[in-house]
Amino acid sequence: MPDWARARSWELLLAVILLGTIVYNATQSPVYLDVDNFVNLFRLSIEKVIVAVAMTFVIINGEIDLSVASVMAFAACVLAAAHESGVPFGLAIVIALAAAASAGFVQGMVVARTGISSLVVTLAGLIGFRGAARILLEDRSVGDFPGWFGDLGRADFLGPMPFALVLFLVLLVVGGVILHRTSFGRRVYVIGNNADVARFSGIDVARVKLLLFTTSGLVAGVAGVLFAARLGSVRANIGEGFELDIITMVLLGGVSIFGGSGTLLGVALAICIVLNLRNGLGLANVEANTQTGVIGALLIASVLAQNLLDRLPLRRREVEAEA
Amino acid sequence: MPGAAVGGMTDGAPVLAMRGICKRFGATRALDDVSLELRRGEVHALVGENGAGKSTLIKVMTGIYPPDEGEVLVDGEPVSLRSAADAQRLGIGAIYQEPLIFPDMSVAENIFIGHQDRGRVVRWRQMCADAEAILARLDVHIDPRMPASGLPVATQQAIEIAKAISLDVRVLIMDEPTAALSAHEVERLFRQVRQLRDSGVAVLFISHRLDEVFEIADRVSVFRDGRHVSTDARDDVTRPRLIAAMVGRQMSDFYARHEHHPGEVILRVRDLGRTGKFAGVSFDLRRGEVFGLAGLVGAGRTDIALALFGIAPAETGTIELDGRSVEIATPRQALDHGIAYLSEDRRHVGLSLPQSVTANITLPSLRRYVSRLGLVDGAAERSAAEGFRRQLSIRTAGLSQPVGLLSGGNQQKTMLAKWLNTEPALLILDEPTRGIDVGAKADVHRIIDDLARSGIAIVLISSDLPEVLAVSDRVLVLREGEQTGLFDRAEATQERVMTAAVGVA
Amino acid sequence: MSTAADVAHLDGARSRPGRTAVWIRPERVKELSLLGVIVVALLVFGFLVDDYFSGRFFNRVTTSVAITAVLAVAQTMVIVTRNIDLSVGSIVGVTAYLTGQFASSNPSASPAVAIAIAVGLGALLGAINGVIVAYGRVPAIITTLGTLAIYRSWLISHGEGKTITADSLPSWVVDLPTRTVFSIGDLDVRVVFAVVIVIIAVLQIAMQRLRWGRRLYAIGSNPEAAAQAGLPTRRLVLGAFVACGTLSGFAGFLFLSRFGNITVVAGRGLELDSVAAAVVGGVSVLGGSGTLVGAFLGALLIDVLDQSLVRVPQVSEFWRNAILGALILAAVIADVVIGRRFRRRWSAEARPHTKVDASADAPDTTKVPALTGSEQTGEGTDA
Repeated sequence: MPDWARARSWELLLAVILLGTIVYNATQSPVYLDVDNFVNLFRLSIEKVIVAVAMTFVIINGEIDLSVASVMAFAACVLAAAHESGVPFGLAIVIALAAAASAGFVQGMVVARTGISSLVVTLAGLIGFRGAARILLEDRSVGDFPGWFGDLGRADFLGPMPFALVLFLVLLVVGGVILHRTSFGRRVYVIGNNADVARFSGIDVARVKLLLFTTSGLVAGVAGVLFAARLGSVRANIGEGFELDIITMVLLGGVSIFGGSGTLLGVALAICIVLNLRNGLGLANVEANTQTGVIGALLIASVLAQNLLDRLPLRRREVEAEA
Repeated sequence: MPGAAVGGMTDGAPVLAMRGICKRFGATRALDDVSLELRRGEVHALVGENGAGKSTLIKVMTGIYPPDEGEVLVDGEPVSLRSAADAQRLGIGAIYQEPLIFPDMSVAENIFIGHQDRGRVVRWRQMCADAEAILARLDVHIDPRMPASGLPVATQQAIEIAKAISLDVRVLIMDEPTAALSAHEVERLFRQVRQLRDSGVAVLFISHRLDEVFEIADRVSVFRDGRHVSTDARDDVTRPRLIAAMVGRQMSDFYARHEHHPGEVILRVRDLGRTGKFAGVSFDLRRGEVFGLAGLVGAGRTDIALALFGIAPAETGTIELDGRSVEIATPRQALDHGIAYLSEDRRHVGLSLPQSVTANITLPSLRRYVSRLGLVDGAAERSAAEGFRRQLSIRTAGLSQPVGLLSGGNQQKTMLAKWLNTEPALLILDEPTRGIDVGAKADVHRIIDDLARSGIAIVLISSDLPEVLAVSDRVLVLREGEQTGLFDRAEATQERVMTAAVGVA
Repeated sequence: MSTAADVAHLDGARSRPGRTAVWIRPERVKELSLLGVIVVALLVFGFLVDDYFSGRFFNRVTTSVAITAVLAVAQTMVIVTRNIDLSVGSIVGVTAYLTGQFASSNPSASPAVAIAIAVGLGALLGAINGVIVAYGRVPAIITTLGTLAIYRSWLISHGEGKTITADSLPSWVVDLPTRTVFSIGDLDVRVVFAVVIVIIAVLQIAMQRLRWGRRLYAIGSNPEAAAQAGLPTRRLVLGAFVACGTLSGFAGFLFLSRFGNITVVAGRGLELDSVAAAVVGGVSVLGGSGTLVGAFLGALLIDVLDQSLVRVPQVSEFWRNAILGALILAAVIADVVIGRRFRRRWSAEARPHTKVDASADAPDTTKVPALTGSEQTGEGTDA
């Protein structure tokens, strides 16, 4: 097996699975290969996939952000509450985004400065920011947003694609360049690999982590605002459980939970697989929750497969380097 | 009772014999028809360059790698050695350079956790009493209820030895056990080893430090290129002959260096201090000078380096670079001032093991390879790495190889390349030749010499006193964080330096 | 002129003959401080709320804490091995639902059978997790994220949207929460609570005194050392997950009896509660430390706060989550701060260099939370 293939074996595996799901779905349903269907694929989950791009950076960095769904809801509730109080809508959006970025910033500060595990800090954030959302909106539902906002969320923006989808594609490309081609991206990987080596190489580890968490919060905020635009109304409990889907997409994409490896390409493929599965299974009248179960099984199976591949002789390159 | 001696203590019967052992990894023969015998009640030293097969041998002896060919005999009977549990059952134990302990658990539990024969229920009081007894015999007096983390390396090692004793090991493998110990701790370790030997244990003592080998060993075996080259009684062999056998050719430990002509002062340190680590340190450093920092382990040498590199900045005192007073609060600042630091802890702090050689080399100086758009220029990176590969003779299958696959000596060279790539004016080397073989050591000395001649100021921290004396232009000696001596090359002798380091007449 | 004392001083390894006078294990300190915080909280609320210290309050707390306490303990057994089980919520849902189905269609069956079903089912689901993590070497966070989805989706399909109603259940199930062992005036010591306390006490003793329990801690403390010491790591990890599943099954049964009406989404979110309670209780997500009693106290503290805040008129119920989140953060930060101070006291002074001294105060970055099933050895290492 050529070197490049070996290094990218996970992405290849995903591409094969994706091809498989597309073929399966195409044979199951005549509607499947329609462009509109492709767009629809993303429509319902667009907020999750946007956050998945940011989550990729966080996990490669060796951390995790469990609070994204709560920050998303928090931002949406800030927007709704501000709107309710008569704040001009544009300003309300800005405030909501600032709130979300601050949420990420605070968590990032705690992780970067105290060294407490991000699992714990963002778990607190998950609970806390959901609570903040509840404080703002209590159990009300707030809607009645300006027309242009609803259009932004639902209508076609560029060709048949809604604004959110365009934004996702832009984020994917920009994120890909940053992660794989810039020195910042290199630093993200090294820190995830071994934070001490990074520190000793002159990298400001705390600053990178702070930046990543703040961005994660901001992106969650953007997703929350777009969610509000799409739904037309906001409640404090929106997006509950999203973080699991998002993390699943990233991990399925071949990003190691321990940090230091993985690609955005893999995550993009994983997203396509997940969405395809949901869409295809849905068209074949498989219920939503079974789809979830299938995706869970797929997640486990892919890691198992990778472990098996690791053991095969064609992968074994064990060299006794020391005596 | 734990650690009871075996009858027939030092009758010299072979307790563990390896015959015709072969082990291959892909195309590499790590062990080639190796036969070795360990006798009861002896300290058997094993020396050899890195890549000679010592680690592989240990792994075969402890059941981690089954041999491809050959057999292992215990007490003359062939045995199957296919797992760590097998090895434990046969009474074979191993202690490594970095003690494997359970940090959250008590010392007593650390010793006894693996025991199968102590029953289901933990009897705490008995366990603590037993632990205290074994440790006392090893001249270690600590409360066995203490958590094992936070104890000095030497004590953690003693815990490992206690573990081995409690398991009644008959063969104890010690892999570079003195690497992280101070002179006093080494003495205590040797007493412990002699105790083991006298109670009938066969100790396989692997070390790069030939002085220690001559002090502690009964027999010495040499490995080279996966083969067992020779075994002699300690008194039948000399140091030069050992080195020749290890390397396959005649050579000395050290590279004959050129004359150095130090230039103007580049670094001026006055009254540098950090609470609990060091205080009142003052010295000047010239360009093109090799400045040795000597002292016992824990004397504060690395701490000074960390202060100069911004990891653990000094709290008092001044640092002047090229006449200007500077403050170094982060490694990035140090690098910007032209200071680079090659850490002693290669594996955890020095290199990012899964990343390529190229990526490791360019890591601290990525800025240089970044184009206007912020993108990294891969071609420029690779050519820089290639340059260093040639200059330092780094042996690797390819520059995009993960650096973790390289041998210790080549990893060291990669680390060196990484720091040289930052174009430092001042390079601090912390134990640059620790754990690497004689051949690579000489290479490193040659490189240090070349660097000095090209005008770089070098601070050399080394626990290898002969090395420090051979390579340095001047030597600063530290004792417990305080400066106790500053010698020119001409006046630095082992006695003077040792005296200053230890404070004993 | 050297003396033995001088020489001993040199190497930085301080030999301390004899024992320190009073030995307080670090875990005890954490538990005691948790207890202290609970007492303080009770006092504060006693001041803010009228009629705070009533038997009814005690009853409410003991009833509601039972389930989360069991789950916190279950989670702890997995966390100390440096793993995590995010599927406990789904396990609770599945076991509660299926046990409910069984009980309602077999009203004459003995309670022991129903409990056995819940517990056995939980053990099975836990075993699946354990096999995938220990033998398949899939990291725990991934495995249990997957099984969380798989178990839940199976339940939803199986349930077909139907709810188990309290009326369909035999009376002994529904009445169980109110049965008491004894009462002191208004204050009832309920059977459920008593049983839970007993279970936790027994398990705590097991974890401290059984070699099996100590080995679970060892695996989490240093997986490499555990393997080298010849510990059967895979079997032990499997055991931890089975124990967790079993306890979750029991919690499922408690859930059934407490709520009666079980939907197909029952138990969703409980996994996060269990991790939160464990964390507040001083269990380190890096594994190797923390006690079951601590986890119980963590669950208790959270519940006391939760129930008490409801009764403070100035605080609306919508503040609960926010306060809980802040509490978790505070608990963890306090834990870290206290931990560092104690570690300095206990560790021998002037350690000779090992790794970087600066990281003596920084957390151990080489440990990764919630992992197993992967060798952490770097290839081509030195030793």
